[in-house]
Amino acid sequence: MAETTLDGAELAILINRFEGIARKMTNTLYRTGRSGVLNRARDFSCCIVTHDCQLLATADSLPIHVLVGPDMMARAMKEFHPQLKRGDAFLHNSPYHGNSHAADHTILVPVIDDDGVHRYTVLTKAHQADCGNALPTTYMGAAADVYAEGALIFPAVKVQENYKDIADIVRMCELRIRVPDQWKGDFLAMVGSARIGERETLELGREIGWEKLTAFAAQWFDHCEEQMAARIAEVPGGRVIGSSTHDPIPGTPEDGIRVVAAVDSKPKEGRIVVDLRDNVDALPCGLNLTEACARTASLIGVFNSIGGNIPRNAGSFRRVEVLLRTGSVAGIPEHPTSCSVSTTNLADRVTHAVSLAMAELGDGYGMAECGGCLPPSSSVISGIDPRTGERFVNQLFLGSTAGPATPYGDCWLTYLHIGNGGMCFIDSVELDELYQPIWVSERRLLPDTEGAGRHRGASSLLVEFGPVGCSVEVGYVSDGSVNAARGARGGGLGGPADHRRRKRDGGIEVLSNCAQVKLADGETILSVCCGGGGYGSPDERDPHRVINDVVEGRISRERAREIYKVVIGLDGQYDESATSALRSRV
Amino acid sequence: MRFATDTGGTFTDLIIEDDDGSISMFKAATVPHQPVKGVLAAFDIAAAELKTDSRTLLGRGSAFIHGTTHAINAIVTKRTAKTALLVTKGHPDILVLREGGRLEPFNHQVPYPEPYISRSLTFEIPERILASGEVRHALDDDAVGVIADQLRELKIEAIAVCLLWSVLHPSHERRVGEILRDRLPGIPITLSHELNPSLREYRRAIATAIDASLKPLMGRYFAGLTQSMREAGFNGRVLVLTSQGGMVDVEEVERAPILAINSGPSMAPIAGLRVMAAESEHHDAIVFDTGGTTFDVSLVRNGHVPFTHETWLGRPFQSDLTGFPSVDVRSIGAGGGSIASVEHGKILRVGPRSAGAVPGPACYGTGGNNATVTDAALALGYIDPKFFLGGRIKLDHGAAVEAIQRDVAGPLGMSLERAASAVMEVWTENMVQAITDITVNQGIDPAEGTIVGGGGAAGLNGAAIAARLGCRTLVVPEIGAALSAYGAVVSDIAREYRQIFVANTARFDAKGVRQVIESLRRQAAVFSHAAAAAEGAAHTEFLIEARYPHQVWEIDLPIDPERLLAPDGVAQLEQDFHRTHENIFAFSDPDSAVEVIAWRVAVRCPAGGHTELKLTRFDSELISTRRRAYFPNDGWVEVPVVRFERLAFDDWRVGPAIIESPFSSIVIDRAATFSRTESGNLVVRPAGTRDSSTERQRARA
Repeated sequence: MAETTLDGAELAILINRFEGIARKMTNTLYRTGRSGVLNRARDFSCCIVTHDCQLLATADSLPIHVLVGPDMMARAMKEFHPQLKRGDAFLHNSPYHGNSHAADHTILVPVIDDDGVHRYTVLTKAHQADCGNALPTTYMGAAADVYAEGALIFPAVKVQENYKDIADIVRMCELRIRVPDQWKGDFLAMVGSARIGERETLELGREIGWEKLTAFAAQWFDHCEEQMAARIAEVPGGRVIGSSTHDPIPGTPEDGIRVVAAVDSKPKEGRIVVDLRDNVDALPCGLNLTEACARTASLIGVFNSIGGNIPRNAGSFRRVEVLLRTGSVAGIPEHPTSCSVSTTNLADRVTHAVSLAMAELGDGYGMAECGGCLPPSSSVISGIDPRTGERFVNQLFLGSTAGPATPYGDCWLTYLHIGNGGMCFIDSVELDELYQPIWVSERRLLPDTEGAGRHRGASSLLVEFGPVGCSVEVGYVSDGSVNAARGARGGGLGGPADHRRRKRDGGIEVLSNCAQVKLADGETILSVCCGGGGYGSPDERDPHRVINDVVEGRISRERAREIYKVVIGLDGQYDESATSALRSRV
Repeated sequence: MRFATDTGGTFTDLIIEDDDGSISMFKAATVPHQPVKGVLAAFDIAAAELKTDSRTLLGRGSAFIHGTTHAINAIVTKRTAKTALLVTKGHPDILVLREGGRLEPFNHQVPYPEPYISRSLTFEIPERILASGEVRHALDDDAVGVIADQLRELKIEAIAVCLLWSVLHPSHERRVGEILRDRLPGIPITLSHELNPSLREYRRAIATAIDASLKPLMGRYFAGLTQSMREAGFNGRVLVLTSQGGMVDVEEVERAPILAINSGPSMAPIAGLRVMAAESEHHDAIVFDTGGTTFDVSLVRNGHVPFTHETWLGRPFQSDLTGFPSVDVRSIGAGGGSIASVEHGKILRVGPRSAGAVPGPACYGTGGNNATVTDAALALGYIDPKFFLGGRIKLDHGAAVEAIQRDVAGPLGMSLERAASAVMEVWTENMVQAITDITVNQGIDPAEGTIVGGGGAAGLNGAAIAARLGCRTLVVPEIGAALSAYGAVVSDIAREYRQIFVANTARFDAKGVRQVIESLRRQAAVFSHAAAAAEGAAHTEFLIEARYPHQVWEIDLPIDPERLLAPDGVAQLEQDFHRTHENIFAFSDPDSAVEVIAWRVAVRCPAGGHTELKLTRFDSELISTRRRAYFPNDGWVEVPVVRFERLAFDDWRVGPAIIESPFSSIVIDRAATFSRTESGNLVVRPAGTRDSSTERQRARA
């Protein structure tokens, strides 16, 4: 068969077509999901991998969901089901076979052409409101192992044949997952989304021809690899080591988990190697990383650090090697290690370690630390709604800022956590009060909590909420009350996380950072998320931007003077000469 | 005689509807800082063509319908009023946090947007009402008074008030309004529950903030416009186009100037609806309008123009929503001036950057150097360099070829023709993706609908877009070059009203629903009375916004209130909903109840227009010729070039051909068939679609 060579227009059009299919899957799921996690927070991703399980198109997916994982899950599907047929669909959430964590249910649909040949696999992955864990939360931080987690695990299990549900599987889920109707609604929406991806990919193949599409993918990957190599060639070379420490929770060492990443930048080879092998063994808690998350978190760190907005796919990934160790906390988990919280807490620390290491390569590279996650404003909340008498379980997304400063500018404020790149939505107070029996008494940014720097990080967000006419359970695993977000290249620390209970008598109780809290009627929980770290020295910050931060209430005059060395006169105006004098003394 | 104008970025369109139903179309250059000048210039051009003078022409007019980009321009250039935002205590960062979300998670060069109203002008009101209506904290009148004094000190020019739950429990917000009016007479105020009765505090707050910030400015603008028109000799009624696809009296839009945002583009689907009714049996249509800078897409679904609550002021997530329900129109940077370039030595990119009118495409010879879509079309022979805009601009063919060669063909190692075709193909694909996004969200299958192409550059790839989408019918209206102004001529005096009332079909509160419907009916009646509609002439239509429980995105569904409240009405509603959900999203959940969240009434009063409209033309040269043009599958071929108005009615012909009018050039390839219909529009059937073979046989016979 003659090799088809596509030109620059054909490449542009076909990648646009594949991205368009992933986007169509995404839009469909967003509009039809039932749980707040899907339809209010958009905690899901859709992507397409090739027949040989290489990541091709991800639309605007959450980075931690898709960079590595869809490829591994598609491989598991092929291994477990060598005979794929059109009409099949598979449910996959196994942390040991390529999924991110058990609470992310993934529907895989193999795209089979008219001759019965498997061409692509389309995936729809969504964080569930509940996955049948022992406690009503999808983040079992203190679980000693997968048995203590309690979620049903599906290693690429067939859930549809000939486009019909395999009802046994659906019934199993309905018996184990709290709020089964909501789960079933999400399941229908996910299958709907994946089927749309299947239909569109089939149409594309019929129109363009499968061989040409295959040639396209190969050339597209080569092109993205070249782009990546060219970018890395500009990064200063050298071996740098970064670390980032997760706060202690039950099951971790007393001083938490220090994640170490060694980064080898090899500009001449156009290659970067991230080595995570020098990390502690897996721990008896839910923070351990899945292989997918360990690899993805490393890649996020690299892509964030080099800029250039290079396409993320199997082609550009060829230029980054991630070294992992089986049995490590940040490596390849062995059954029954628990990876319940794999997508957020420790994964973020891996990304931070890589970004901080790469910041050492030179100004213009790397990034500050994003704030740790997830504070109670992102907790899973459950109880009985007194207005209907019905049980509810859902994750709140009342807002978490945490954005890190970059070499290019100030933070993206509403980042939530580094792994999702700021993609998640923030709940409306009114919608949350309508859907859950709660009220949100306060939601505001706190002054002087930004990571100072030439470019500054996000301010912390305070969210206070409590039940109305009932009690509720609030589950969270929050990182960053001990280890606040660090800056890069002279940038300062972001504000730490904090969690407290306001009792009926007005008294305040400090809460643990990994807890399942029962709030009585009349009580509230005060959630403070981390600020983000700064980039570059604060006394290099443009004084006019500092003044604007003061006017907007983001920082105090005192902080402007003490940290940024910017003087505001008694008349409220910028005092240029006093500022110059102060800054020249530094 | 009625006049309709649409002031766009490059041109001001004017359509005149004469008393016998004949219409004529004119274009003048837009005068960005004095839009009225552009409007009056269009009247001068019209008067010259009609062999009269402007004053006499204007004096004959009974209505002047005006679409304007003044509001959106003021927002983009930050010339709006100094506006304060008053919110519930504890929630001062509503406009800072927005609703989260981000595009391009690895592109760190895009800054986080500043809030629409600065935090330093945001004030917290001590009060709190809960979802149930329980008053958790009573409103502190004195504190509001103190804030009012501060606002006076700060010389605030407009005030937006948005308190939590005011949409269901407006007492506190009303009281704040009273105190402010009392203390700060003459300062315009917008209350969120009055302007935008919808849940989600950010959407209500941003709409309220935008509206208040526009009030002083738009008040001045409309006063100036009305006065200028009067001075120029016009004595009729001044009407303004709205983002809701209708028109209202100028006083109405002064009360709620947010209505004027996006008012021009929202008229395109109204025009599309009219065109489609004449040309096709379909109930769905995709309407696009290709200008110099942007490509706007909108829809007709089931004979209705769908609304969205997600209209962005700029790029999604990098700007603010308007938060205000309006006709769903998506714009992307894919106009005829889109710049083509080669990235990373390999990948062809077209847009979103545009050469615009200044410096313009290379072929304009007005300083532009970049290769654009217009240059590609010229190089391929699609545009006649001597007949662009009826010959008013002479295009430089050599400059176009040179730009395409240098920017595209050279870097990609292609022939000039292949390079120019590639530019057209990538441009088409960008548009198709934008169309796909809106059709997915609104649940339309392009293959089952008609596509209506308007705007000067629409003809260059309209047939290619239709073919790519599997659309069987492309209609290029005779009046397509001024599609929005045409929409204005055929539209009604109209508004939509909305009320939040949650009704679940499992425990349907018929009494509550009846009250909501009655209340909406009253609002509609007040509007039609104010619009001076003749008794019985106003038309009302009810819609619901419904979903399955726990979903948060609703689907619009037209309802007949009487039928809903009759026995079995609720079961019928459930069935209609399941079917619509299935149509839009490819699945339904028939076991589930349905939840109605909002109730809407659309009230339309006829604006006195004609039902039969005929375009009058003033072209002097009507010569049909042949010229060489390049088609990807055929290479250079000599194609007939036919003047639009010379096409015989209902005479099916086979491509290739180029159909030209002073404002557009329509390219038809070998595989497509085309005909002009009795309504005067051009209908194209792309190849490979179901109907085309029949038409082909008819054409050959």
